[in-house]
Amino acid sequence: MKRFFFLLLIGVLLMTLQTTLLASLPIRRFRPDLVLIFMLYLGFSFSNVSGGLLAFFLGFLMDLFSGNTFGLYTFTRPMIFFMAQLVRNRFYWQGFSSQFLFVFAFSLLEGFFILLLLSGVSSTSLHNLYPSIWTYLLPQSLFTGLMTPILFELFQKGSVSLTENHRRSVQAGG
Amino acid sequence: MTLMRIRALPPFRRHPVSFFIVIVLLSGLILISLRVKERQGVTYFDALLLEVCSPFQKAATHTLEAVQGVFQKYVFLIHTQEENEMLKRRIAELQGENHQTKEMTIANERFRRLLQFRDTLVTRTLAAEVIGQDASSWFKSVSLNKGERDGVQRGMAVIAPEGVVGQVLKTSSSYSTVLLITDYNSAIDAIVQRTRAKAIVEGKEENRCQLKYLLRTEDVAVGDVVVTSGLGNFPKGLLVGEIQEVEKKGYGVFQYAELVPSVDLTRLEEVLIITESSTVSLPPQEEKVEKPRKAPSGGRKKK
Repeated sequence: MKRFFFLLLIGVLLMTLQTTLLASLPIRRFRPDLVLIFMLYLGFSFSNVSGGLLAFFLGFLMDLFSGNTFGLYTFTRPMIFFMAQLVRNRFYWQGFSSQFLFVFAFSLLEGFFILLLLSGVSSTSLHNLYPSIWTYLLPQSLFTGLMTPILFELFQKGSVSLTENHRRSVQAGG
Repeated sequence: MTLMRIRALPPFRRHPVSFFIVIVLLSGLILISLRVKERQGVTYFDALLLEVCSPFQKAATHTLEAVQGVFQKYVFLIHTQEENEMLKRRIAELQGENHQTKEMTIANERFRRLLQFRDTLVTRTLAAEVIGQDASSWFKSVSLNKGERDGVQRGMAVIAPEGVVGQVLKTSSSYSTVLLITDYNSAIDAIVQRTRAKAIVEGKEENRCQLKYLLRTEDVAVGDVVVTSGLGNFPKGLLVGEIQEVEKKGYGVFQYAELVPSVDLTRLEEVLIITESSTVSLPPQEEKVEKPRKAPSGGRKKK
């Protein structure tokens, strides 16, 4: 439970970074989706239940902090997480290129899911959004993919130290 | 207890993981369906989460501003002398412009009285600070550090000194989210200042809008200024932007025009929320003057 809330806090902090620091940089147009990278990392290394719930909550928060009133991310984020879980054993994800390709593909996939869901629920015409596939989705997915190896490395180190601390506290407790 | 009952169900016992996945995804779909159906803004739970998470944004923004401030005040002093000279020249230019503007304001006041404009708009505004941008790249919104406790309500108009910014979309007790005019879901009733041609300003992409339902017969040109029509949540005459492109095809009822918002929405730092907008009568002595025909009252525009 403690671990779950700790990871949720990391997710919130990454989202804060995404909406403040990355949004103020000149590359704001192509800012990487840090929360998606985090969630895909969870998809590789966490169980279905705790990871799925985290993806659900983080998706819910994404919806709250965006101009989207439909709650699309609450659905797409867990779905992407479960899809990542499906392929994690069939995929070598330790190298730079494989990590990049994996996250790039999932970022694109989520973008198409969002468009698909929007076309189903939105009463407004989406023709203004279609150019965003080229102007936002593609470059953003590319940047997200490029950031992935760095962040995966950081998450890996964090995860190892977290496990180590937990092991020590268990040993100290007898 | 409920959890135990769910676990005792045959499908959960046989395929617990698949059952959990279906439950989570179904919950997401049910949430979408509820939100589409109700569209009431934020619920108590949403507002609570906004309250809990927004301080992180606020703290991050303040830290960023502090770091930027240090850089601007101490590190980038190299060009100060040059900038000072340039600013002095600019002040002299602005003083000249200011005199002209004053003259024009006085003349405008005379004309307004002459034309027996009976009603004048009184607006009450609330200053707010932008503490965060949209978490997603598909939508265009900003988070503000003012909420229901300060009198902010859903649908209120948000402006900047340069013009229209957007409308309040979500509110919690101390924070709110504003849907920018560049969001694909935003629509504002507007008129072209020069020709009084009516149109709807819709969001297109980053710092771009388009004019919809602009009749083909209307005279519209590049450089024309677009202002709010007064219908909907915005007071009349607020600057929306400038037309950048006009495309008139050989057929159809409408023409297409693209607009650049007057406010640079990518660099917003402070905004004004119009919390109260009402019409008041001029002093009694002017009431005796023949009453002009009242302008049609604006309806609340909903998307």
